[in-house]
Amino acid sequence: MNPKRCAACKYLRRRCPKDCIFSPYFPPSDPDKFACIHRIYGAGNVSKMLQQIPVQTRAEAVESLSFEAKCRVEDPVYGCVGIISLLQTEIQKTQTLLARTQAEITVAQAKHSQTQVNEFM
Amino acid sequence: MGGPGSSSPCASCKLLRRRCAKDCIFAPYFPPDDPHKFAIVHKVFGASNVSKMLQELPVHQRADAVNSLVFEANARVRDPVYGCVGAISYLQNQVSQLQMQLAVAQAEILCIQMQHEQPLQSHHQVLELDQDEKALLLNNNNINNCNNDNNNLGYAMSSGQFNSNFASPSSIMQMQMQMQMQDPLKQESLWT
Repeated sequence: MNPKRCAACKYLRRRCPKDCIFSPYFPPSDPDKFACIHRIYGAGNVSKMLQQIPVQTRAEAVESLSFEAKCRVEDPVYGCVGIISLLQTEIQKTQTLLARTQAEITVAQAKHSQTQVNEFM
Repeated sequence: MGGPGSSSPCASCKLLRRRCAKDCIFAPYFPPDDPHKFAIVHKVFGASNVSKMLQELPVHQRADAVNSLVFEANARVRDPVYGCVGAISYLQNQVSQLQMQLAVAQAEILCIQMQHEQPLQSHHQVLELDQDEKALLLNNNNINNCNNDNNNLGYAMSSGQFNSNFASPSSIMQMQMQMQMQDPLKQESLWT
């Protein structure tokens, strides 16, 4: 067996061909990355997904798949959708607080202007 | 054949062209009138992976799990490179932008409050942030314009921005413990 098999081919216990679609993105130094992706998506599905996108975008696709797979392993019910929900909640809270603070600014500026007018009179 | 109380096979068994057993794990969540739902999950995750994931969960959590898988699968089909991570990056930028605006507003109100507390100081002192100062504070953060989605999301990904902010899902899960979590699947905006 080729000692320089990529992590995917090592995991799948197969020969790693020269044109292996996984090898640029799954170096043998990081076996967990492929293991996690394989657990959630399966090798066949990942291979199909990579084949359907341009070569220059595949590295980023693998990183995003890896992130989503990790999220799913850590939260089997919600996966990364849980993070989206948290962010949306945070956005709503911050928008409310911002609106309130801007209203306070308007009131404070009005009071300040009135005070200045009174002091000059 | 068919799910509980149903005479026709569930969408999963129809697609997989197999008999739909009484205890079919998919049947409660993939009714026959919505074939697209299972089709998209099968396309991204594969039926056997979904089956394994559901088997590892208590029954009362499976519906939510299926809905989140459907959401992720839809996101991945719409955006084959970034999937849900694209949405996370976009929302993260929105949060950063809003927090910066909030910080500017809070600084401004602090200035005004200080001015009220020291009324004998010169009336001509500019204690409020003017438009240039606000713009400088906002621009220095180099926040992406939310309308230029794809290019900026790509930039966020390739510059490692999402990696540095989401170095690991565990750190995000810790965030979860600090924030009050609403039921994520009942927010309509998630599913549009």
